[in-house]
Amino acid sequence: MKYEVVIGLETHVELSTKSKIFCSCGGHSEADQPNDCVCPACCGMPGMLPVTNRHAVELAVQAGIMLNCKINQYATFDKKSYYYPDLPCAYQITQWFHPICTEGYVDVPTKHGTSRIGIKQIHMEEDAGKLVHDDWADVTYVDFNRTSVPLIEIVSKPDFRSAEEVLNYLDKLKSMFRFGSISECEEGAMRCDVNISIRPEGTEELGVRSEIKNMSSLTAIERAIKYEVARHIDALERHTEVLVQETRRWDDMKNRTFAMRNKETAADYRYFPDPNLMPIVVDDQWLAEIRKNMHATIGQKTAEYTGMGLSEQDIASLVSERTLCDIFDAVVASGRKPADTAAWILTDCAGILRRNGKVIGELDIAPEALSYIIGMVDEGKINRGVGKKVLSAVIEKGVSPEQYIKEQALDAKVDESAILDIVKNVIAENNKAVGDYLGGKTKALQSLFGCCMKQLKGKGDPAVIRELLEKEVEKLR
Amino acid sequence: MDYFVTEIDRAGTVAVDDTLLVKGFETKAGSHILDGFVPLFSADAVDRLLKAGYAVKGKTHTGEFGLDIAGETSYHGVCKKADGSLSTAAAEAVASGTVKVALCVDVNGAPRRGAALSGVDFIKPTYGTVSRYGIIPTACSGEQVGVCAGNAEDVKELLSVIAGHDGKDGTSLPAEKYGYSSDKDISGMKIAVVKELYDAAKDEVKSVLDNYLNKIESSGAKIETVSVPDVKAYATAWQIMLSAETCNNISRYDGVKFGYRTPTYKDIDELYVNSRTEGMGFTAKMNVLYGSDVLSKNQYLSCYDKSLRLRRVASEKMKEIFASFDAVIAPAMSSASVEEYDLAQTFERTKKELLFTTVPNLIGIPAMVTGGVQLWGAAFAESTLLSIAGAVERMAD
Amino acid sequence: MTVEILKALESLNEFRLTDSEEQKAMEVFGFMENEAEELRSIDTENVDVMVHCMPMTNVFREDVREQPFTREQLLEGAPEHSEDSWIVPRLVK
Repeated sequence: MKYEVVIGLETHVELSTKSKIFCSCGGHSEADQPNDCVCPACCGMPGMLPVTNRHAVELAVQAGIMLNCKINQYATFDKKSYYYPDLPCAYQITQWFHPICTEGYVDVPTKHGTSRIGIKQIHMEEDAGKLVHDDWADVTYVDFNRTSVPLIEIVSKPDFRSAEEVLNYLDKLKSMFRFGSISECEEGAMRCDVNISIRPEGTEELGVRSEIKNMSSLTAIERAIKYEVARHIDALERHTEVLVQETRRWDDMKNRTFAMRNKETAADYRYFPDPNLMPIVVDDQWLAEIRKNMHATIGQKTAEYTGMGLSEQDIASLVSERTLCDIFDAVVASGRKPADTAAWILTDCAGILRRNGKVIGELDIAPEALSYIIGMVDEGKINRGVGKKVLSAVIEKGVSPEQYIKEQALDAKVDESAILDIVKNVIAENNKAVGDYLGGKTKALQSLFGCCMKQLKGKGDPAVIRELLEKEVEKLR
Repeated sequence: MDYFVTEIDRAGTVAVDDTLLVKGFETKAGSHILDGFVPLFSADAVDRLLKAGYAVKGKTHTGEFGLDIAGETSYHGVCKKADGSLSTAAAEAVASGTVKVALCVDVNGAPRRGAALSGVDFIKPTYGTVSRYGIIPTACSGEQVGVCAGNAEDVKELLSVIAGHDGKDGTSLPAEKYGYSSDKDISGMKIAVVKELYDAAKDEVKSVLDNYLNKIESSGAKIETVSVPDVKAYATAWQIMLSAETCNNISRYDGVKFGYRTPTYKDIDELYVNSRTEGMGFTAKMNVLYGSDVLSKNQYLSCYDKSLRLRRVASEKMKEIFASFDAVIAPAMSSASVEEYDLAQTFERTKKELLFTTVPNLIGIPAMVTGGVQLWGAAFAESTLLSIAGAVERMAD
Repeated sequence: MTVEILKALESLNEFRLTDSEEQKAMEVFGFMENEAEELRSIDTENVDVMVHCMPMTNVFREDVREQPFTREQLLEGAPEHSEDSWIVPRLVK
């Protein structure tokens, strides 16, 4: 019999805020050591009260807008109770009764066209801490850096029919959220619970569901789905086991899933509204403000850049990283030509980074600095080669381009008589090349030009140099 | 008599309940499970006192997490009156002149009962007027820091110091300051006696109340009787919320992060179970069990959700009464004294006493105990309550 | 309430009652069941829940980072801790 796989995802995404969701501690990415970003509230001490981080709410709403959700005008926070050492208060603040966003969708590209994945809801919640198990000392260390870091949980409808759809969906969320500065989506900042069942193809009724908890690597998700599908088919066809609805965990070393012990899964979470937190009301005015402050989406940027006449390849490169777009936009806004700016970023900057063992995504340059260099070249105050030299210094040493040009006297005007002297000198020193050129090898002129540039140390307008050189050589005919 | 679980400054004139954090001094809320817990910051109310130049003499014994009739469930010591009957340590410290005023957290009415038992004044102001930052939480939706003192003037003075907006408490109301007075003219005020509460009290309490009513009437106020037929159901609603919130708030005490840890455990389950079994008294555990039950999937709608709706019913009912009355008067508790009893009875006994004290916790209105009786006002009507108390007190002078 | 449910509640809340405490707890549950019955008899058909007795909306703090306490201060009162972490018995064997 042929089976259809039915998958739903609960995806937890860490929001890019400066501070935690209910206290002022920095996010755990700020932390060097365990328990660096911790306050009395993070370690469960009594007395502090939660106060919601406004920016976290705004980011959750932005995520909802990106995923075509209804933004609810009335949202609340609720408490979910269970015991585990990574949960310092033995409750997690989440949204159970009134989530911030509901009813959305994402279009996911696949080999067979586009699949529309429904979103049931997006709710906000706080993260738990981290446990580090020590075999030698036979203890577990508790680190609360991640406690209360803001998360959104995106609950999809059971609309996935293949692992491919799942992976492409997660990839799409990742690039959307990174681009929109919703989340850095670094390693571990995006975690999934995967709900899987199978049913005979053509039937409607859902099969017995297993939930694989807390997956963060895409390859592990793919393998876990394959494993679970095979396990379910075996159970149905060869009666290897009786399927029960249960929570399982993926063991990456053993390459299989295991049922989690009952106590971890059978808890009654006893949800109730948190009396310390007032409802969130996203009225039309606030929603309009949030929309206005939102970064453009990848789609919007692509359309904008196409309108500027950039090539498809350049656009793809720019929108691969939010920061590149920010730099590009700022430089263009300062009056530089789009195509030219794209070339400076994607060819020159990229080359310099490559030489330093970095990728273009790591580009960290003030748009004003790049705009200044391009401007100097455009105005002919320095030539392009010097411009690249300045750019290297700016990227590698963090110098100010203005100061660097001045210090190195790169913009010193070289008058024509000085250029002429050098040109004459080069002609006198390079009889062979001159002979070759006059003999018809026009390429030889290029090597003479190179010698001139070298002696001029890169200064001088290349067009003038070339013109004088040609004139002088022709005189020898 | 030993009022203090922790002494702080001999020269101090203020006591604070051991449910309020004072930076650097062990704070235990009457519970063994918090032994050794030294807070890193002070409650906002305590900070305001210190900034205004008051010094804290010490931390008074409280019943475990405030779930008591009058302090009797404290692990660290119980304060009794000279005749051996019960009252709260804070009220007794004020009554004896050991301190001028005391701050107490009112979650189930215990500080009001203490004031009635010791013959002093106590006000629980409108919810959200005093910050709850830095109190050991029991039932966040209705607990509030209040002031205990020998007379309405002193209550007013301290309440004016501790009330005001605090951004660290998300339920703190926006007003920066509240202008309280205790000398408004009470002649012409209309005051309602709650029939159901009057009827439920013992004769000894009724006669105190009758006596008080005579004094108010002689000041020109008018007395009428009103009926609040569902008042017992309100008390049940608050018991349900109180237990549920307690269950949730005290689940953090587990022997891992601070406070008491059992000496005997071999794994995390035993560490939790033994620390909590040894660290908490029966009444706290009973509240956790009941609170856990009312929040369970099967009970949530019929108990917890129902109680949240009753809160609105109660709120509307009291609004209706305050539309025609300046204040409500009722007994503070069923009897004029409390003898020692078997602590296994605490849950049921306090539930019965909640009848008299619940409404102000449930719907956030101010309540004041003075002269052995209890006054309620509409939200922000503290000055009315203080003025009635002040007028009667000045009469006695 | 049954003793089984009671024991499950004890376990859910990570403590144990003695036999006599359990007996008392059963009485309390019986007592509260009667009280709750009375509560349920009140009509709340068209009444919405009221979570906050003094309702407000949109109470926020700005996204500003502050770190006023040190790890050492927070760990000081811990029953068992290392240089940088709280310690519990090993969880996963």
